[in-house]
Amino acid sequence: MAKKKSFAARKVGIVGASVTPFKGRWVEKTFYDLAQWATRDALKDAGISPAEVDAVAYGIYNDIFERAAIPEHPLQGIIGLPNKPGIRVTNGGATGIYTIASAFAFVASGMYDTALVLGVEKATDCYDFVSRSATPEVIKTIAWSGDSFFEQKIGWTASDSYAEVILAYMDEHPGDLKPEVTAKISSVLSEHVKTNPYAQRQFDQVTPEEVLNSRYIVYPLKEMEICVYSEGAAALILAEEETAKAIAKNTGRPVVWITGVGLSNEWSFAGKGMNHWGRIYSHHVAAQQAYEMAGITDPAKEIQVIELHDAFIQQLEISMAEMGFVPMGRADALIDDGLMLDGGPISVNPSGGLLYCGHAVGASNIMSAWAARNELIDKGKHRALVHGTGSTICQYGGVAILEHED
Amino acid sequence: MEQRKKVIPESYIPIEASRTLRLEGKDYLLMNDAMYTFYERSMGEFSQFFMALRDEKKILGCRCSACGIVRCPPMLTHCPDCAFAPTEPIEVGQTGKLLSTPPITYFATSMFLDKAPFGRGRVVLEGADTALSIMLYTTTGILTPGIMKKGTEIKVVFQDERTGQISDIFGVPTSELTPEQVQKPGLLTSELNWAAVKEPDLGQATEEAKRVSQGALVELESLLKEMNASKRASKAIENWKRTIAVKTPAVEFGLIIDNGRIWLEKGRPKSSDFVMATEDIRVLLDGLNYKGAITDAIVKRKLWISKNIEFVTIFKLDRLARFLAREKKEGAAKG
Repeated sequence: MAKKKSFAARKVGIVGASVTPFKGRWVEKTFYDLAQWATRDALKDAGISPAEVDAVAYGIYNDIFERAAIPEHPLQGIIGLPNKPGIRVTNGGATGIYTIASAFAFVASGMYDTALVLGVEKATDCYDFVSRSATPEVIKTIAWSGDSFFEQKIGWTASDSYAEVILAYMDEHPGDLKPEVTAKISSVLSEHVKTNPYAQRQFDQVTPEEVLNSRYIVYPLKEMEICVYSEGAAALILAEEETAKAIAKNTGRPVVWITGVGLSNEWSFAGKGMNHWGRIYSHHVAAQQAYEMAGITDPAKEIQVIELHDAFIQQLEISMAEMGFVPMGRADALIDDGLMLDGGPISVNPSGGLLYCGHAVGASNIMSAWAARNELIDKGKHRALVHGTGSTICQYGGVAILEHED
Repeated sequence: MEQRKKVIPESYIPIEASRTLRLEGKDYLLMNDAMYTFYERSMGEFSQFFMALRDEKKILGCRCSACGIVRCPPMLTHCPDCAFAPTEPIEVGQTGKLLSTPPITYFATSMFLDKAPFGRGRVVLEGADTALSIMLYTTTGILTPGIMKKGTEIKVVFQDERTGQISDIFGVPTSELTPEQVQKPGLLTSELNWAAVKEPDLGQATEEAKRVSQGALVELESLLKEMNASKRASKAIENWKRTIAVKTPAVEFGLIIDNGRIWLEKGRPKSSDFVMATEDIRVLLDGLNYKGAITDAIVKRKLWISKNIEFVTIFKLDRLARFLAREKKEGAAKG
């Protein structure tokens, strides 16, 4: 656990947000245009010009997807922020949440008054000319992320590394993560996505039976329990308290404050605790830090909206347990006790999540923050949690708490 | 002269070309391309570990001089838990237990399509305290869930030809080996008794089965017609060409896939890319009807294919079924 610390920082709020449509492939646009599009829309949402933005944090996960080693450098001019600071963040699947945290630190520290959070990703330009399909090449591109000495050459994939953790959890808790529950959760998310016009699978509603009938990709994960890779961009405008209030007064959209941030990277190979399997400590630690900063003592009672990085449904369940919403070993309570069903106390992934809205990696958690902000403002809810995970065996975890005072 | 294997197989490399794709009345340019870098990569402090695999068929870990923990793989020259006390190389055993139930990859990356399905699990070898991640196989055919789980005892097997990388070794359950094989250090893959690929004996069809099969064939033909009529479904098999010899006790036929189209030809095909055999033709029909994946039928051994590498075609058939089902559903929703 991190040491208890004080948070002598300035208040930071979200005053603008946007997403481009997430699609299986954006033949019509390169990542330059996607990034500029999201920037334009976020600035418009905040009613400000590029001149009023002090700094930018780029969330771009994988150089190979973008086919460039410093993919963010052309963006600085394209988004109208020349001669301003720009930092590129790349943290596997958790790139988006880490990018939000970096921009938050820029503003909270007093270094800058406003910052743009800009996530963008391509994926399906990757193409396997042997099987004549994109997917095997896309997952190969992600598979360069396994340990290069010991894992890449034995078929490591993102799916099989998460499956390792999920199976280890199932070894410990054989009655949890029941197939009918994971199938139901996937089905519930597919209903949520109906109201998200930016989603890749807005009209792909599935029944639990269809999820159960979908094929194994990596045992024990079935096709409809796994997120879909996407192409797209998402952006947020962050501002310190006085600037935020002035912008909100102008737009008529209330400020959504970022009141807590927590980040954690576990071991992936070395470390004494590595034989204790079946936990995702990074999500636990990140959540505890964020709760402490936001003054939350009982998350299940104090948080109404969760936008959770659902790379896999089984991992969604374990993450919910690690963050304290259900007991470890009883994550199926999400469905069995109706916690995330319609009318239940917690709205989980109103955006449809990464399964149905899509996973445009660098942009995904930023899309989640966009969705959480909308949910707070439009539905008049008080507090939301945005979560990101990434790297091998869910090694990285990040949590941000968003609050709406009105 | 023997051709040495290339770092990137020739077949992966596209030709220099581009094409135009028309979307909503506008043209876009698609360019064949690659981003590549070659390495003469130093294995640095891991050199000893990999050379021991290659030259001596031994597995090395590292032992912390302060706390005594033995890590395999040897991470690292100094212990991160003991104020970076130095570690020393130490040989570990070649059998061990699975730390947890291993995942099985059915849908692999483009570099591993010919190796799937395979398991990848963490084995705590005798004499080690941490787990080594290795590929797992069964000698009994296709790897299915349940063969290996947490605590299953695993024997490390060495490839006959080794280059000094982690893929020089893999694991099989000791229960599939003789006691001598389990005991033997440096056991080679050529010393294992791999189950030969043998078509299952489907037996004789009853009159009832023949009647049911004829009905299923009619259903299958009309389903394939629907697939060909659907632009969306056809995308799953575009640019793909296969002749599949389908064998059931009651009937044999060819399933032909040719660039977006799929059809059935009665009788045994003259030549085929692979064989699909099943006791019950409805298993295939259900799969194509999106009532249970064909992949899962293979995993559950209700359907047999003659070549593992043709999982790639099976995935396309599963997608074909899904795309058609999805189109029908959306059509129904729109009325």
